Amino acid sequence: MKKKKMLAMLLAGGQGSRLYDLTTSIAKPAVSFGGKYRIIDFGLSNCVNSGIDTVGILVQYKPLVLNRYVGTGESWDMAVADGGVHILPPYASSTGGEWYEGTADAIYHNIDFIDMYSPENVLILSGDHIYKMNYNLMLNEHEANNSDLTVSVIEVPWEEASRFGIMTADEQGNIVKFTEKPAEPDSNLASMGIYIFKWDTLRRALLEDHENKESSHDFGKDLIPKLLGEGKKLSVYRFSGYWRDVGTVQSYYDSQMDLMDDVDSINVFSGDMKVFSNSNVYPPQYIGREANIKNSLVCNGCTVYGSVSHSILGSGAVVGFGTVIEDSIVLPNAIIGRNCKIRKAIINEGAVVDDNTEIGDPENGVVVFGQTKLSI
Amino acid sequence: MKTIGLISANYGSTEFGELLQNRTLASLPYGGRYRLIDFALSNMANAGITTVGVIAPVNSGSLLDHIGVGNPWSLGRKRGGLFVMPGSVYGMQKSGSRFLMRDLLKCERLFYKDDADFVIMSGSTDVWNIDFEPLIKAHAESGKSVTMVYKKVARGEEFRGYFLDINENGDVVGINNESFGWSNYFADCFIINRSYAMDFLNWYSALEYKDMIEIMQENLGTINIGSFEFRGYLGKIKNPWEFLKVNQAMTDYDIRNEVFCNPERMIYTKAQDEAPVFHYQNCDVRNSVISAGCVIEGRVENSIIFRSCHIAKDAVVRNSVIMMHGTIGEGAVLDNVIADKYVTINPGVKIYGGEREPVIIGKNATI
Repeated sequence: MKKKKMLAMLLAGGQGSRLYDLTTSIAKPAVSFGGKYRIIDFGLSNCVNSGIDTVGILVQYKPLVLNRYVGTGESWDMAVADGGVHILPPYASSTGGEWYEGTADAIYHNIDFIDMYSPENVLILSGDHIYKMNYNLMLNEHEANNSDLTVSVIEVPWEEASRFGIMTADEQGNIVKFTEKPAEPDSNLASMGIYIFKWDTLRRALLEDHENKESSHDFGKDLIPKLLGEGKKLSVYRFSGYWRDVGTVQSYYDSQMDLMDDVDSINVFSGDMKVFSNSNVYPPQYIGREANIKNSLVCNGCTVYGSVSHSILGSGAVVGFGTVIEDSIVLPNAIIGRNCKIRKAIINEGAVVDDNTEIGDPENGVVVFGQTKLSI
Repeated sequence: MKTIGLISANYGSTEFGELLQNRTLASLPYGGRYRLIDFALSNMANAGITTVGVIAPVNSGSLLDHIGVGNPWSLGRKRGGLFVMPGSVYGMQKSGSRFLMRDLLKCERLFYKDDADFVIMSGSTDVWNIDFEPLIKAHAESGKSVTMVYKKVARGEEFRGYFLDINENGDVVGINNESFGWSNYFADCFIINRSYAMDFLNWYSALEYKDMIEIMQENLGTINIGSFEFRGYLGKIKNPWEFLKVNQAMTDYDIRNEVFCNPERMIYTKAQDEAPVFHYQNCDVRNSVISAGCVIEGRVENSIIFRSCHIAKDAVVRNSVIMMHGTIGEGAVLDNVIADKYVTINPGVKIYGGEREPVIIGKNATI
């Protein structure tokens, strides 16, 4: 087997509790995004677009939809003989079973998996960010600097810096300090939660961290400070471009509205760094005689009889006669009856909205309607 | 009862001009994202058929590009799967023929290798969603050698092909390509006992220049043929006008639900992963079918727009079919037009076709 230059480990086990009803029955990376995608599509597509063909996906919270969705990885051209996608749930061993207790702990439990491929470098990704990035450019810098760890960072406005994990770097790009949500930040370089480690460095650090009873086994809180303390070479990789964490209902809503309001943000229309997805085969959308659609994204399988403006209709969604939808996101397979009024709302996947229902109020915050209905 | 499938794609038509210049009728794009052969393949996949032979025409490039190893129809398998068999040059010349003996004799391997009880043989150019399971059951119970699928059509409907005379027991007692007032239109599809098919090919191997249906027609007295009525929508496409009409059938609520939105029997096709359709602020889309990846700024009415088309502002597309990657410039007007892939219509250009004679614009053309 050819030795891998870099293998990716994608952290997809979190619940995403701040997305409330959107994640009561599915993991955050499996939540629908932009009508036909799921959040994990962005990370997986970045991998394939960067030539990475081996990805471990660490799952824990409600993984059923995610497992089914990822399947063999064929949709991302990852059904390859020597690699491919691997779903990695917590497992039992002769000493009993353990849950993943933190981001680093999840990787610790899969050291044997990574050793099977014995890569030179390991890329750690979060399964809940929306961005397009070529990880190869980051790997090139990582190798040119001969770094033990390279952290991808993005410049954020100074006034917002205290909401992020902030990296302080010297002029050569060497990390000198890491502070989680600093009250008085001395840098505006926020960590994007994307790390490239030399595998031998990471392997040893994980083993030591596991023995440390004080550690919370988290990359940001424990691993990076540990390596900094040991005087390892840590560098930043400056990324510029669109990058959003969609951890809250508001940020989830805003970044989807960006698809229409700022087409260049995360250009899903561009063939360059294409975003792949594993969507069902739906017929093309049908737009009825009295329908009226303005400034909206509409997916395959939709049937629209009503009025839709500044909204996203997910695959297979139905909008009945006389219904008005404004500034809203209708997730896949939701059925909206006749004469409804839906404003500034998110209608959950597969939810049914009865005729004459009013949901949402433009004067208030975004509301989420219905529970995710699991279906194929 | 184990059944395998055999689809003939080795036939064409001279009536489509440039649309069939570099492709066969079976791979003609249809309905925004499909190719005609998707219906035959999906009908088989939905009946749990896992071994399917496809008789490919000489100009099979676009067909092979589309069906690949058959993954969308779950035919990329270790046991069984998709078998593409090259058909004869003759297929494209003999008009109206579907099941050429010459082609069938060449794919005998498929019949001998398998242990299936039955073979469903089907054309590849009709738009329909048929449940083959009741057909297989009815055929198995009837004890017939062959069961032909037909649809009742109203007198005067413009159907060309074979008509069947069926007696009160459901036996086929007449086959003719004139209707003779018969209303039972043969749907280019039948089920045959596999062992009987092998015998048939053996007996009539000298008649390799004929079509299997012709031989059945001439030997009706000696073949035990039953019939099976299909009551759903059957979209026949034999000329550009029918092509336009059958595309527009997708805007019909009942046909759309029956053929395309049946969750038990979806129509599968090769996925392309395009973005959602972007409807701009001043667009106006009425009674139309739009596929993924399109950007619509202008007006679209009673039309079928394939994936990744751009309809610029103030452009009007009416009663037309625009295949993938079409670009319709600002203020252009298209009415009763069929535009092949990668067509560019310059701003302000106006093209009006006749209702029964749509204007055809060839692939890659710029007007």
